[in-house]
Amino acid sequence: MPGLSRKQGRHVFPGTPPAPRLLLLTVLLGGSAMADDLFIDNQNLPQVLTATRLKQSPAAVPGSMTVLDSELIRASGARDIPELLRLVPGMMIGYGAGNQPTVNYHGSNVNDARRMQVLIDGRSVYRAGLATVDWSDIPLAIEDIERIEVFRGPNTVSYGANALMAVVNILTRSPADSHGTRLKITQGQDGINDFYASQGLGWEGGDLRLSMSGMQDDGFDKNQYGQDYRDSRRLTRFNLSASHTLAPDQTLEWQLAAKEGSNQRPYTYTPVFPFVTGRGDNADLNAKDYAGSVRWNIDFSPEHSLYVQGSAQQFDRQQVWRACDATLAFSPELTRLWQLNPDYAEQVARNANNPPNNSDPVLQGLRNQIKSQWDSGGNREVCGDVDQSTRETRYDLEIQDTLSLTDTLRLLSGFNYRYDRADSQTYFNGSLDDRTWRLFGQLEWRADEHWILQGGAMFEDSELSGSSLTPRVAVNYLITPRHGLRAVYSEAVRSPDMFENNVNWSYTVKNLTPNVLGLHNGEYFVKTRGPGNLDQERMRSRELGYNGYFADLDLSLDVKLFYDEITGMISEPLKNNQYIASNANKARFSGTETQLDWRLGMRDRLRLTYAYVDAWASNPDDRRLSARNSGSAGWMRDWGQGWSSALFYYGDDALNQYRYERVDLRVAKRLRVYGSSLELAALWQQRLDDQPTTVEQNRYDSRHRLSFSAELEF
Amino acid sequence: MLRLLRLLLLCLWPMGALSASEILLVGAEDQPGVRSFVAALEVRRPHDHVRFQTVAQLPRPALLKPDTRLILLDNAALDWRMGETAGPAALAMRVSRVQAEQRLGKSRPSYLSLLWSDPPLPRQLRLTRYLLPQARRIGVLYGPGSRFLIDELRQAARGLGLEIVAQDWADLRDSRPLQHLLGSSDVLLGIDDPDLYNSKTAKNVLLSSYGRQMALIGPNAGFVRAGALASTYSDQDDWLAVLDDLLDQPPTHWPRSLYPKHYGVSGNQQVARALGLEPIDPNAAALALAEGESTP
Repeated sequence: MPGLSRKQGRHVFPGTPPAPRLLLLTVLLGGSAMADDLFIDNQNLPQVLTATRLKQSPAAVPGSMTVLDSELIRASGARDIPELLRLVPGMMIGYGAGNQPTVNYHGSNVNDARRMQVLIDGRSVYRAGLATVDWSDIPLAIEDIERIEVFRGPNTVSYGANALMAVVNILTRSPADSHGTRLKITQGQDGINDFYASQGLGWEGGDLRLSMSGMQDDGFDKNQYGQDYRDSRRLTRFNLSASHTLAPDQTLEWQLAAKEGSNQRPYTYTPVFPFVTGRGDNADLNAKDYAGSVRWNIDFSPEHSLYVQGSAQQFDRQQVWRACDATLAFSPELTRLWQLNPDYAEQVARNANNPPNNSDPVLQGLRNQIKSQWDSGGNREVCGDVDQSTRETRYDLEIQDTLSLTDTLRLLSGFNYRYDRADSQTYFNGSLDDRTWRLFGQLEWRADEHWILQGGAMFEDSELSGSSLTPRVAVNYLITPRHGLRAVYSEAVRSPDMFENNVNWSYTVKNLTPNVLGLHNGEYFVKTRGPGNLDQERMRSRELGYNGYFADLDLSLDVKLFYDEITGMISEPLKNNQYIASNANKARFSGTETQLDWRLGMRDRLRLTYAYVDAWASNPDDRRLSARNSGSAGWMRDWGQGWSSALFYYGDDALNQYRYERVDLRVAKRLRVYGSSLELAALWQQRLDDQPTTVEQNRYDSRHRLSFSAELEF
Repeated sequence: MLRLLRLLLLCLWPMGALSASEILLVGAEDQPGVRSFVAALEVRRPHDHVRFQTVAQLPRPALLKPDTRLILLDNAALDWRMGETAGPAALAMRVSRVQAEQRLGKSRPSYLSLLWSDPPLPRQLRLTRYLLPQARRIGVLYGPGSRFLIDELRQAARGLGLEIVAQDWADLRDSRPLQHLLGSSDVLLGIDDPDLYNSKTAKNVLLSSYGRQMALIGPNAGFVRAGALASTYSDQDDWLAVLDDLLDQPPTHWPRSLYPKHYGVSGNQQVARALGLEPIDPNAAALALAEGESTP
């Protein structure tokens, strides 16, 4: 047992200067001499904090990490995860609508957040089919989160492809730590109406937590025209999490989660053809997410452990809305013209009364046919149901092995297999599936007490997007155990998602009224195909950093300088008029980030983050969601007698050209009521600017928002 | 020559040990640990007659020779000696404060000297301050059996400028008290109470505290191997030194109870590293603690 021989004790004779005779060294616990020591209580205790369970100290982490702990999560008063991520330096939080938050690290497109991996207890909630994370639809209540570890930078070696720009690793509260009952309600302006209820219990060798939660709000109030903005959300969630000790060296954990809810979407379809006045009134979406996972941990020895994790997930989006346009939209000739020349087809449609001529005789022939169809009833208005529903299914199996080869050398390796399937008549003309497998390995070597070298690689092969190998190397120099410098080089890839690469986009409009050519259903003329041969996006990232903890001040500080390049970037927006995806774009992000966490005395905690990001992208759209200066400042104080307060400032100088500055004040009082704990809190959120949020239609009536919450624990 | 040597030995020998005496060690059973301890004591006390007998082999305490020096090695031996007041004085070893409280309450029979097996709490507090100087709030879990130690602990902490955050943990299946304590303290200090700290609870306590990047100090050396950061402890050699000292004195001078003056520090280097602490130098730690130790 090499690890134990270091645990030595010196015997001293207290009070007087120790005599050499008494300075005897003995081997404690490990040596055979100690095994018989009548006075060392061995109790047959299991070795719990083993070499495989212990992680690197913050100064030795091979990259930049921000940890949002439960105290911070509670103090922020945040109702959902994107709002919490404002506390992470370099994280750009935008809103497509009130129920469509987007989170990007360092930036890129306003509409999409395709380049960040998001995990809940190791299960990826990144939708492979449509390359997004639906933050509002994740089946997890914020009250069930223990902490969030954000790895700022690419790390496909540890987290798999799509961990391109950052990884948000959400860790839920362990069932063993959630015993008892928790009830919470939150009510506030903007229609905020949330509830949370959980019950945790334990038995010999096992623990379980069941939680139910719901959320409701009105989203933004008005669009740029002063009209009511249709972006409310309502959702209900169910979560069951359990852990079992199968044997002293084996545990089994499993989770079931479900979410059901509706997200309002405004009606945004504008008719292609002239003179159409009919319109639907919404494009609301019903989202159901289901997830189940099971994880089996085995400790073969204190130096060797392994886990097997399997998960199944389904993302179900039902979106059927009523649209109106001219009957001509279903003309086979117009469809044919679109396939030959979409630009010209659009001109013909938009000017159907008098379509422009074309020198190409085939196009001109089609144009003439279309014109005569228009004149003979094709201009008649027709309405029908557009079905944009999708269902994505994922099965994932991962085996990860941690082996502590020596006291200074640790090997982490594993295998992952994933099956993804997307069903959508509209987007994929049926269904599409993909199989991905990957192998990964990482070696950590403590050369001495100062130098730590960590390197690894991942090989991934996907049926739809081919194979890739990505390396990662990091060197940490520990000045002392609590102050470390790091240099990191990593490469990462993002596989084009099914939508980008393989979209087969067409609309079969149903329930047409009146019927078109005697039919209930019709094929809309616009059809789009993905290129099918997209390569993976590739990121090269370089980072220099410092992480330190000043024990006497109780202050931790992290500073990072970065230079990231993305090549082969797919930046075309996912729109059905002429969607031609390519790997033609690139982007560069450079800058610096700082985070500081300072506990001043027993009652105060000060937290600051700041990011300076210099973003350049060949496609101007990819530059929009990068604030050059962004950050947060927080002051949390425990006033005693159950009173506490938290003051936070969040700021981005320009997100999609709009400034964002907000101050939140949360005041809470904790009371003991008959052995239970009741916390009453008020949260005041004040916008310091009067700009829309991210896009011009996201506007509130008022710059402030007040909400209250009451939480009872017993 | 031999005679001369004997004379020299006699001159060098401490005064109290001039006459050989009978040292009788008593335990429930003969086992390797006991055997090696008895052998080591024999080496240490060559002039005394050292022997071991199981409880079953022995008559009632009153039937033993009054000048026998008894060393009780376990609970069975303690029970046997406490069977009657009459009989030789005894040094009771391997008994902790918590066990004694349960077995004896506040009574301290005059024929018993209790040699505490648990690390003294002021010493553990000093170790905590030495390893984690920034920690001010010392979280302490207690159960029905260890509640009585909290006042004493508070007093010791006050002298060191530390604050004790005590938390009752009555139902071990419910980890809310543990969670609550972890949320309101800077470090966890373990009381050597086997009802709270045992092989069943070790995992929960250690994983929960590590999950919050918090260290556990104590409750004993066995826990250091399991994942506690450090603890003070006294092993066989320490106890031999203590016994040597006591056996040189007449039993009438034996204290009613005592903590060993001899001890070492055991640290878990892997845990220290993962918590971002300097490697623990047990020698330096023990020396630093010794400087703060009050009267020996």
